[in-house]
Amino acid sequence: MGERARQALPSVLSVLLALVLCWIAIAMTRDVDTATRAYLQMFWGGVGNWPAFLDGGPVSALTRPLGEAAMKAALLTLTGLSVAVAFKVGLFNIGAQGQMILGALAAAVVGAQLNVPAVLHIPAALAAAALAGGTWSGIAAALRIRRGVHEVISTIMLNWVAVSLVDNWLVIGPLKAVAQGQQSSITGTAEILSSAQLPRLLGDLSRLNLGFPLALAAAVGVDLWLKRLRVGFETRAVGLGPEAARTAGVPVAWRTGQAMVLAGAMAGLAGAVLVLGTEGRYPGTLGAPYGFDGIAIALIGNNNPLGLTVAALVFGVLRAGGTRMQLLGVHKSFPELIQGLALLFVAGRLIWLAVLRRRTRPSVAPAAPVVEVPRA
Amino acid sequence: MLEVLHSLLFSTLDAAPALVFAALGAVLSERAGVVDVGVEGMMRAGAFCAAVAALAMPTPLAVVVGMGAGAGMAAIHGWLCIRWRSDQVVSGMALNLVALAGGTFLLESLFGPNGTPPITQLSRWDIPGLASVPVLGALSGHAAPTYLALLVPFVFQGLLTRTPLGLRLRAVGDKPHAVATLGLSVPALRWGAVVGGGLLAGLGGAVLSTAVLDRFEQHTPAGLGFMALAAMVFGRWTPVGAFLAALFFAFGNALRIGLASSAPHLMDLVPQGVLLALPYLMTLVLLGLQGQRSSAPAALGVPFEQESR
Repeated sequence: MGERARQALPSVLSVLLALVLCWIAIAMTRDVDTATRAYLQMFWGGVGNWPAFLDGGPVSALTRPLGEAAMKAALLTLTGLSVAVAFKVGLFNIGAQGQMILGALAAAVVGAQLNVPAVLHIPAALAAAALAGGTWSGIAAALRIRRGVHEVISTIMLNWVAVSLVDNWLVIGPLKAVAQGQQSSITGTAEILSSAQLPRLLGDLSRLNLGFPLALAAAVGVDLWLKRLRVGFETRAVGLGPEAARTAGVPVAWRTGQAMVLAGAMAGLAGAVLVLGTEGRYPGTLGAPYGFDGIAIALIGNNNPLGLTVAALVFGVLRAGGTRMQLLGVHKSFPELIQGLALLFVAGRLIWLAVLRRRTRPSVAPAAPVVEVPRA
Repeated sequence: MLEVLHSLLFSTLDAAPALVFAALGAVLSERAGVVDVGVEGMMRAGAFCAAVAALAMPTPLAVVVGMGAGAGMAAIHGWLCIRWRSDQVVSGMALNLVALAGGTFLLESLFGPNGTPPITQLSRWDIPGLASVPVLGALSGHAAPTYLALLVPFVFQGLLTRTPLGLRLRAVGDKPHAVATLGLSVPALRWGAVVGGGLLAGLGGAVLSTAVLDRFEQHTPAGLGFMALAAMVFGRWTPVGAFLAALFFAFGNALRIGLASSAPHLMDLVPQGVLLALPYLMTLVLLGLQGQRSSAPAALGVPFEQESR
């Protein structure tokens, strides 16, 4: 077994175990038949309804679910990257949710107010979102560097400040959309102009838009940054041992701040993809705790940009299919349960390693690397 | 004026216990060196199990079931963090996610979209003679958890600062190796603190669904667990400090709700959202001013390994 496969094995097993346990959960509260049908719904709802397509159904039976899955995966990838980048420098970014809220709001405001051609409008809205998210995480970075405030506490607080200020004030107050004509009960901010909408890649066949390739590009970019650039190497060095890095001449505070701001920018971009790609405005609330999902995705993906992209794709499929489970009376947040359990099992990584080591004793090298998680 | 103050105090005392117990649970766990970001999930488990149990048994007993549920979640946390030295923040956040989605799933599959049927609330106690006294009368007419919440922080503080057990708990959060040198079991002490923290968090959750409301509401506890963490930090990781911070936050909340209903025009000047953000903003400012190192337990979040230095 290759080194890479052994690294990924605990995550794969965790996800499988979570899937099995959740199936049992439905089977016990309902019955076996419902559980199986719900899982099939979830599956076909994520990877496309192949049975219907092969029976002569339209192509949209495939593209629609796949597009939904890709869009969910894009959000999960970006928030996962946000958490992973912070991990690499030794920080735990619990605040992706708040950073995403700020990013989404910035994208919604720029998308609605600025009047320029799409070539400029989309980059401007994306940049504003990244800037807003980066500023929000920058507060936590500054508190950490200057005052030694632990980022777990500060980002939790910043999350709730963001929720309170944006969802409970700005979006229902100063930035609330002005009702026009018959639409008297719209929630959220004004709709973005069409020049700010992320173009759809498959036209009317699905909601797949530019956000998906953007998220993939971000993952590749972060991966290259970490592995190929000197700055990225120094960032990882700080995460593995700040004292050693300092001794080697790495500007520790500077790299910490950079990584944390980049983390916030990633979460901000996730907000922009949500607003510019699918929602069209800042909705009343973000709808799902994508920022917290990012923690699960990053850790299931072993904090590796490419690994977490795979995790995001898997859970994107499950999440997109989850809405279909509602037909069988299973709540649409069910995939989040699978995801949470998978994270719990991944947290017990040492247990997996101990179990696996017992099985393959002769071939395993001593001291398999533990997941790189900063100790709070 | 007195009546306004009376009703403000009354609603503060009604709403505060959940926050107080959760904050105390967090203090207990973190003073022993185990990060407790899972307190929100433990509260949710407590609230859910108490509401379900109350359908079949007397409500006070259901509250105990809720405490047990919180302790059960904490035991998972303890097993992962103490036995397997997992990252404590990861484990806590995982518990939050599982409780959030799991609660919704169980609620929907056991009770359908309408949620749990209403249950008998904990009975309220009238203190004879006190009810007619102005302002102080607000102390009368609450359910038992309120009075418990006024008492427990001080008992806990005494336990933590004046008894050998308290000394050991504090030591295990500051210098676990020193405790191990004395021949005491670091894992055992941490296990006790984590499970105790879970009991308190579960109690906080159970209070929400048996005293504040009369059912399990789908979003319970809606971030109250994180506010409890803020109270813990604000109270500098001491029981009485956390208690006072929790009371303060609860009072602010009661004031906000009171103002929104009685003086809506004031809300135009100071928006609700800003008031909602205040507890968290104040915690951030406090942390920024004094730094954190001064009050947080020294070994917070560091898994204990006998062989490490």
